[in-house]
Amino acid sequence: MSISTKVSDYAAASDGRGAAIGALPHFERQRIRFFWMLLTPVLVILAIVTLLPTIYLLVTSFTPLSLATPGTAWNFSDPLANYKVLFGDSRLHNSLWVQLKLSFFTVVLQLLLGLVVALLLNMRTALMEALRSTFLVPMVLPPIVVAIIWKVLYSPDISPAWWIFKALGWSVATPITDANWALTAIIIADTWEWFPFTMLIILAALSMMPEELREAARIDGATSWQLTWFVTLPYLRNTLLVAGLFRLIDSIKTFPLIYILTDGGPGTVTEVSNYYVFSQSFNYSYIGYSSAVTMVLLAITLLLSWIIIRVVAGESRVD
Amino acid sequence: MSTDAPSYLPRRERILANTLVIVLAILTLLPFLWFVVMSFKPSDEFFTGIDGLFFKPTLKNYEGLWTGRFSVSIWNSIVTSTVSTGLALMIGTPGAYALSRATMRRERTFSLLILASRMAPPVAFAIPYFLVYRNLGLLDTKTGLIIVYLTFNLALVVWLMRNFFDGTPRALEEAAWIDGASLWKTFVLIVLPMSTPAIATTAMLCFLYSWNDFFFALTLTRNSAMTAPVEVVNFMNYEGWEWGKIAAGGTLIMMPVLLFSVLMRKYLVAGMTAGAVKG
Repeated sequence: MSISTKVSDYAAASDGRGAAIGALPHFERQRIRFFWMLLTPVLVILAIVTLLPTIYLLVTSFTPLSLATPGTAWNFSDPLANYKVLFGDSRLHNSLWVQLKLSFFTVVLQLLLGLVVALLLNMRTALMEALRSTFLVPMVLPPIVVAIIWKVLYSPDISPAWWIFKALGWSVATPITDANWALTAIIIADTWEWFPFTMLIILAALSMMPEELREAARIDGATSWQLTWFVTLPYLRNTLLVAGLFRLIDSIKTFPLIYILTDGGPGTVTEVSNYYVFSQSFNYSYIGYSSAVTMVLLAITLLLSWIIIRVVAGESRVD
Repeated sequence: MSTDAPSYLPRRERILANTLVIVLAILTLLPFLWFVVMSFKPSDEFFTGIDGLFFKPTLKNYEGLWTGRFSVSIWNSIVTSTVSTGLALMIGTPGAYALSRATMRRERTFSLLILASRMAPPVAFAIPYFLVYRNLGLLDTKTGLIIVYLTFNLALVVWLMRNFFDGTPRALEEAAWIDGASLWKTFVLIVLPMSTPAIATTAMLCFLYSWNDFFFALTLTRNSAMTAPVEVVNFMNYEGWEWGKIAAGGTLIMMPVLLFSVLMRKYLVAGMTAGAVKG
């Protein structure tokens, strides 16, 4: 990584950084040294707390490390063994499939609901301005509290919803212990928790939308629906993409909801990959294999993050 | 930005939209409100069916929390979140300033690093930290948690504070240099004081992220350093299902979070999309 100062207009007006630095006045060189002094601690500590552990994880993924079996640490006799197992592990494949279903439905539902609420709130009536913050509540609550809230709602003997079902004479199954409904129950709770996130991002984009865009269409006689469909939605395309990608990556980390509501069950119906890794590593101590699976998850995360950065960068270049 | 309703909106549409927003707001708040209400419910009235909607509120559930381990776990949460936030700000703010005032060649790589540290599944850090802490004796210690929280807090501070510095004029600093103030003096006496509001919001965000953490506390603590989110869950296992205490504890945990979110509503987006979107 190399650094040069931005305010060096009098020194480095002509380009060619390397040559210019040599010609910098004393003060400029002093500033560069000062900046490095401020920057070094962050870079070093960031590397120690994030990069080193990741390298350690990678190294561990080449060993059969299991805390229950001595002598499995630093054993590199068959470094790719874990990665070979990956391909034949049907429980892992199942978990990826569950993950795919969970991610797909939560992202789509959160984008839809977030979009609807954002479009509504963007009408900015006095009432809406007053109610705006209430929509943020689910997102800022500690995720573990969200999980407990839904545990209450999904437990028939203490859930007000089930009291009402009972009063109406309906018999409704307990979704979190029913293999057909467990994943749906998690999808509903997750959508409730995170639609405010997509809503916020969409609202922010809407508030920056040039008024002329809508004005022109309105003069041409477009109705509110046409305006939304042909002007606003196309304008939001990139925003929706970024919001969706963010939620997609975050959906890979869904943990408290599954931990509290279903514990991955019934069976493995709601066991996503992240949860599978958790139970393999922290319940069964198969650290080596878990590390290999985690490396795969990490690779997916990095790829998606890179796509986000590309999308955002492309967007700002158009501006 | 005008807060008046646009005049072109037909009356009928406005009424329809307002009604819809009210319904959605109620649906959004109900699960949360019921939980808070539950925390004031006498514990013997939890299973009374639909009659349970009406009851005489009590503080018993909250009183029950202070005698047990829960108060220790709240203290652990406060200490780990506060110290980790403070450390991240102390280390990160000067770095963010340097990054803002200098140009970097690998801007894209840097963004990816920041974003990745926010995006990485916690288990990717939990496994190596667990192994290292086992050997260093840092398992189940507040120090251990504080260090782990730096994995996301540092990146958050650097990203947010750098965005802030990018938006501040350099004229003041340059004037100070011309007057002969040293680089350090300018940073400490001119730059830092004008950043107090930004530092405060960043601090709140870091605190929220650490306070809300469940996964690291679950995997890296056992007993003495356990934080409140994990301790609340324990009311579900060891001592039977104490719904009253669970609701009271959960309500307590969410209080600071709700307060801070109101104080920094405008910065939530920037904080949650750190690495990708400039606020």
